[in-house]
Amino acid sequence: MLELIGLTKKFGSVTAVDNLSFTVQKGEIFGLLGENGAGKTTTLRMLATMLKPTSGTARLAGIDIVKAPEEVRGRVGILFGGESGLYDRLTVYENIQYFGELNDIPVKEIKKRIQTLSGVFGMDDFLDKRAGKLSKGMRQKASFARAIIHNPDVLLLDEPTSGLDVGAMREVQSFLRNQKDEGKTILFSSHTMSEVEKLCDRIAVIHKGTLVDMGTTDELLKKYGAHGLEDLFVRLAGDGR
Amino acid sequence: MNWKHIMIVFKKELKDIIRDRKTLFSSIILPIFLMPVIFLIVGGGTERMNEEMTTHITVALTADSYSLAAQNFLKKSLETQGEDITIVDPVEDPWEAINSKEAKLVVSLDGDFEEKLKASEPFTLKIYYDNSLSRSGGAVGSLKSAINKLNGEIAAQRLEAAGIDPDILTPVLVDTENISKTGDGNMLLMMILPMLIAMLVAVGGIPAATDLVAGEKERMTFEPLLTTRPSRMSILTGKYLTINLFSFASVISTLIGMLLAFFINPRSLSLGVGQIGGFNLDPGSVVLCLMVTLLLGMTFSGLQLAISTYARSFKEGQTYLSLLMFAVLIPSYATMMVMPSDIQLYMYLIPILNTISAFKLVLGGLTNYTGLILAVVTSLVYVALSLVIAASMFKNEKYLFRS
Repeated sequence: MLELIGLTKKFGSVTAVDNLSFTVQKGEIFGLLGENGAGKTTTLRMLATMLKPTSGTARLAGIDIVKAPEEVRGRVGILFGGESGLYDRLTVYENIQYFGELNDIPVKEIKKRIQTLSGVFGMDDFLDKRAGKLSKGMRQKASFARAIIHNPDVLLLDEPTSGLDVGAMREVQSFLRNQKDEGKTILFSSHTMSEVEKLCDRIAVIHKGTLVDMGTTDELLKKYGAHGLEDLFVRLAGDGR
Repeated sequence: MNWKHIMIVFKKELKDIIRDRKTLFSSIILPIFLMPVIFLIVGGGTERMNEEMTTHITVALTADSYSLAAQNFLKKSLETQGEDITIVDPVEDPWEAINSKEAKLVVSLDGDFEEKLKASEPFTLKIYYDNSLSRSGGAVGSLKSAINKLNGEIAAQRLEAAGIDPDILTPVLVDTENISKTGDGNMLLMMILPMLIAMLVAVGGIPAATDLVAGEKERMTFEPLLTTRPSRMSILTGKYLTINLFSFASVISTLIGMLLAFFINPRSLSLGVGQIGGFNLDPGSVVLCLMVTLLLGMTFSGLQLAISTYARSFKEGQTYLSLLMFAVLIPSYATMMVMPSDIQLYMYLIPILNTISAFKLVLGGLTNYTGLILAVVTSLVYVALSLVIAASMFKNEKYLFRS
């Protein structure tokens, strides 16, 4: 479903992402692990067609992100940060509707999808409230609904639980499992090792833009003789700490 | 580009901005009420100042030079010259008297002025005034005018006594007639209105521009927006149209405010200088003038969008865009006093100056199609340039994701 082929991004003389290649299958939750500045966000931004790769490419359901970025965008849902991407002066309904319209979903279908998503996320009570007046948890739910209003095949999530409390984090995790069950491909970056361990089918550790290793958690733990994911992470991306 | 996407972005931005009470109030609603207040206060103030300078001019003799004869001489000779001069009681200290409003002007006469007058010798009348007070400094002209008339009268009497026709002193009679079709009130409006419109068109979109890109970056709504189907050009155009609409709306609300001021007191718009009206507008020039104005707004909307795209945050956007305001203010004030007939051809080629010149020309009832057409053509080039800059910024990930 998602195939990265030598994906590289340079900013001047700095190589933020260096020749990244891996494949994420349909219905798989794939974790991208790395320290701050490792190149996770840049990778996700390239896949979302926000940034153009310096070399290499990626294919999303066979569509090349460099050759057909607009088509790719219609099939990707992004959530960068836990509760981001909402316009405070618009209601939750209007926020979701806006992104539906931008993704060329017919008005009638948008209405239906919002009703469905409102039920799924329990948003009926605040659907007509302005996003700026919502609590963090409500905003987070609205952000999820906004990200998947166009029923994307691939979800790109950059630290979606950052800044959220335990309850809200559990909701994110439950949301991701549901999406996986619906056959969505999920690529997500996180700093929370326990979350990665719980959710991800496979993980990739990147360090200074380069892929260090990837596999299932068990495979990697065994391979490096690490005591838990944190230990593994420090061994692979901790610069000998 | 896709018009459906452009309109989706445009409608959403419009809705969003209309709901931003702060921006809506300061840019659209406030001018409607503020303009009448400003013009009525400033206009009323100027009118009062003019009145103070030219009416009820109280003149006092210094106590040192006071004598009954001097007092009577001044009363008899200056109060009758049609200048609304009143001679009041003598005063000890001229500065004190002027500042305590006992008199607007203080004069002193030579002690032997009567003898000198009889002997047909000149004597001195010294005027004390305070130039820091308009009621005093501005009244000097009226007193001097009365003294000139008095000099003329005395000289004529002396010549007649000597059997000479007083007309011998005035070989040339000066007769003036102002044939300008523009009243004094219109002249002042010609100075203020073009400058105000050009400035508002150029900077009116700043609040919207700041919010629409720099603001979105800060609120983290920009990245999700860029990952939707529309091309960047469609998103840019939708935002560009919103900024344009906003800048013209701020001009219209200001003009409504000015019209209100006019209806409340027609002299307020000319700051009390004279009546406004009787414009002789050439329809062709009006159309071209409006086109130049529209294009100026479009040029600056493009620049504002480019600057807002460059900015990392709302605050940074505000800082950069306020610099743009200075770029607008300098040419606006520099050409404030230029009259329609003084407009040079090069002025039609420079943004801001072209709009000011076009409005001055139209309000002055003059026509210069060459200048106006040149202004339209060059403005089209400026619009294209500003859009190219905005588009290249909007496409450039270096600026879009600057952090």
